[in-house]
Amino acid sequence: MAVASTTTTVAPHAVLDHIHPEPTSFIRKYIFSIDHKVIGVQYMITGMIFFVFAGLLAELIRVQLMHNDGRFVSPETYNQIYSMHGSAMVWMVIIPLVTGGFGNFVMPLQIGARDVAFPWLNLAAFWMFPVAGLLLFASFAVGAPDAGWTEYPPVSLQGPAGTSLWCIAIFLIGISSTLTGINFIVTIVKMRAPGMTFTRMPLFVWAQLATAGLSMIATTALAAALLALFLERTFGIPFYDPRHGGSPILWQHMFWFYSHPAVYIMILPAFGIISEVLPTFARKPIFGYKMIAFSSISIALLGFMVWAHHMFTSGLVPWLQLPFMIMTMIVAIPTGIKIFSWMATLWGGSIELSPAMLFAIGFLITFTFGGVTGVFLSAVPVDLHAHGTYFVVAHFHYVLYGGSVFGIFSGIYYWWPKMTGRLMSETLGKWHFWVTFVAFNCTFLPMHWLGLEGMPRRVGIYADTHDAVFWNQVASISSFFLAAATLLLFANMIYSFTKGKKAGPNPWGARTLEWMIPSPPPYYNFKKIPAVLAAPYDFGNPLPYIGLERVPGAEGPAVTRTPAPAPAT
Amino acid sequence: MTALLAIISIAASIFWIVVPEPLGLVEAADPSGQVDTLFRFLAVVGSFIMVYVAGYIIYFTIAFRRPKNAPANHIGVQIHDAPILEFWWTVVPTVLVAGLAIASVQILSTINNTEGDVLTMEAIGYQFGFSFRYPKIANPIPDEMHVPVNTPITVHVTSRDVIHGFWVPEVRLKADMVPGLINTIRFTPTRIGTYRIICTEYCGALHGKMAAKLVIDSQQDFAKWYNAQGGNGTTGGTGGNAGGVAVALQGGNVQAGQALFGQKCSACHSVGPFTQKIVGPGLGHIFDDTTHPKLVSGDDPTPQNVAKILKNGYQGDIGVMPSSQANAINNTDIANLVAYLVSLSKH
Repeated sequence: MAVASTTTTVAPHAVLDHIHPEPTSFIRKYIFSIDHKVIGVQYMITGMIFFVFAGLLAELIRVQLMHNDGRFVSPETYNQIYSMHGSAMVWMVIIPLVTGGFGNFVMPLQIGARDVAFPWLNLAAFWMFPVAGLLLFASFAVGAPDAGWTEYPPVSLQGPAGTSLWCIAIFLIGISSTLTGINFIVTIVKMRAPGMTFTRMPLFVWAQLATAGLSMIATTALAAALLALFLERTFGIPFYDPRHGGSPILWQHMFWFYSHPAVYIMILPAFGIISEVLPTFARKPIFGYKMIAFSSISIALLGFMVWAHHMFTSGLVPWLQLPFMIMTMIVAIPTGIKIFSWMATLWGGSIELSPAMLFAIGFLITFTFGGVTGVFLSAVPVDLHAHGTYFVVAHFHYVLYGGSVFGIFSGIYYWWPKMTGRLMSETLGKWHFWVTFVAFNCTFLPMHWLGLEGMPRRVGIYADTHDAVFWNQVASISSFFLAAATLLLFANMIYSFTKGKKAGPNPWGARTLEWMIPSPPPYYNFKKIPAVLAAPYDFGNPLPYIGLERVPGAEGPAVTRTPAPAPAT
Repeated sequence: MTALLAIISIAASIFWIVVPEPLGLVEAADPSGQVDTLFRFLAVVGSFIMVYVAGYIIYFTIAFRRPKNAPANHIGVQIHDAPILEFWWTVVPTVLVAGLAIASVQILSTINNTEGDVLTMEAIGYQFGFSFRYPKIANPIPDEMHVPVNTPITVHVTSRDVIHGFWVPEVRLKADMVPGLINTIRFTPTRIGTYRIICTEYCGALHGKMAAKLVIDSQQDFAKWYNAQGGNGTTGGTGGNAGGVAVALQGGNVQAGQALFGQKCSACHSVGPFTQKIVGPGLGHIFDDTTHPKLVSGDDPTPQNVAKILKNGYQGDIGVMPSSQANAINNTDIANLVAYLVSLSKH
């Protein structure tokens, strides 16, 4: 133990200077690489490809709903389309992007490590992802799953053959997610640079730590539920079919025991991204560092105790509704603390409205709206009305698109120069934000009253009561603009590759460790592992790192204090 | 700025308080008014939160933009926290959440209130429609549910195949129709009219078309309709198609009943609680479970009513219970089986 304690001293350690040689073959460098940065970029590319497909499915949904008589595709096809949209967005886009993508690329750099703890495990976890994604989309060939992303039995037992493929694909991506969770926890706990105590970690790392814990624990419940569904579909072993002694409610408990934490798996890393972008572009320390870190952990813990709020109409006994309702409402408190802390970070800042910052600010507004409607749904009497309607669809798109996807966009604009070494076009990025923000709200805001006034989810044919067709057309047309706005992001990527200026190590003047090294970072990340003296967000102080190899331009502009502006009234 | 946001949020709150239909729907039954009140409360609090959060974010973003000619090293105010501010933005949401929880619990307790039920009926979902069973009406009635106005109604909902949802937006209540499980909703219709019953759980290809009508009649119209369907105008009581000869239950033998249960009943019924289903429900607590729903015949779970079902069998949407003839049991066997069930219910 005496030997181990030397690693906790702040001085850089000679043992850490050993660098493994870089692989030379193309395959080991770019295809089956064990470098966390390459794997992170592989996750990003794969996830963005699935994002395009899942987005196209969403547009097909919107085309169908422009009329209420189901004239575009048959009901069977429509059901497959929205089921695949949901499944792909959750498991093949958002979760891989925020954990595997940003987590892999950024987290080891931010803690001053040369890689994750288990690079080969990381490689295995990544390759399960495209395989799972292809399996999922291959189900279209044999009849895709049609019972929504939740696949409630018994109706999913009747579903097309692709439902079994869905089970396998989600099982596989679940294993990938669990392995990544284990990998990240060990990496964050064991591999931080000397002197980087837990309270000096960047908040993105805190978010990844909380997320990794959720992935590791919750995903196992999903795996068990999927295995049982597969066995019942394939061999008739009655887990869920009540005619043979099974319980359909069992699936709901198992599914939501995973899928509610999964909501936090999708949003906590986005919180982490926002917590990096806001201080950087406001040139201010993040407000309430400890409260933000603490609230990430408490949201993760509470996330395990609220799953049955998805089941208020399923037949829970009334006394069981109460604890789930109250725990759900309590989640609003740490979430509120985060929102208020981010607002306070903006106050008195020197705010630069880069595309990353615009998406972060947009996130604050749309995510807060989704959070408020979430509290509506937590109240059982309101949920008994709104459950299973477009109000819920509107709510979770505000959280998952206005939250997670806005966070992903913000993160892409923020770390793109680090990943590629080139800048994107600020003008195109700003257009991307403004069109996205307006189109997003016009698409999903009307769904709130559509749902409250009687439109259920998962219908390709609906009654034209309360101007339902008119509001669906508003939503559909806006959604076409939303999709077009996303093309601006891809155009910006192409622009950056062809005409983008060289970014240099630190184009934003940020202070976390990933900006202290060249862009894109070398294979070994840090020639010398630095020692960390303080938290990274004090723009008024000199950089809190010693022992770093000096990279010209990494330190950002020299600091001088400005006088405090007058407080806001 | 604070004053401007206050004006906007107060204006939004006044809108939510005075708007006659906050959900854009009429109130057609008793709990809907309470749900709307809770919704108004949430909308008022939500408006304040949204207006202040969004308002300050936009204001800060504009007010604290980096000046055009700022030097590269221009930075913001270097503050890390403000404990008093943080204390209040933790305490105020906590108080609001506590208030919301208390209000929700109160409304929930009135929704779950069982007192004064007059009409108890069943709604059964199937792919892709609804049917409704009333006491003393032999056959289930498809597609149209009639209820009398100003009468407390209890609806037991279940399904014949997969999970469906039972939702009447104007009543604000919803329950999933789960095969093998009976869920209950209670309401008192207050507004005569015709409303839509909508399926809210995905149930197959034609889920979007699965709907039925809820007709809230005046009490006279309901009585007329009920008689026309074959009911006798009074609701509740004993009846259904399980009526018939009463069986003498005295002197039933528990051991003989247990042996017979093993031969004749245990393939479909467990001796666990009601919810422990095999094909039919568990029968272990049929007489002492205070939450036990009505029997399949629509009668209260009493030994005599169980004996009637054993004697005559039952055929309905929830399932088929073979009669004594089909099961090859006589009146003595029935007495023994009932005695056994009574003995189970005493544990």
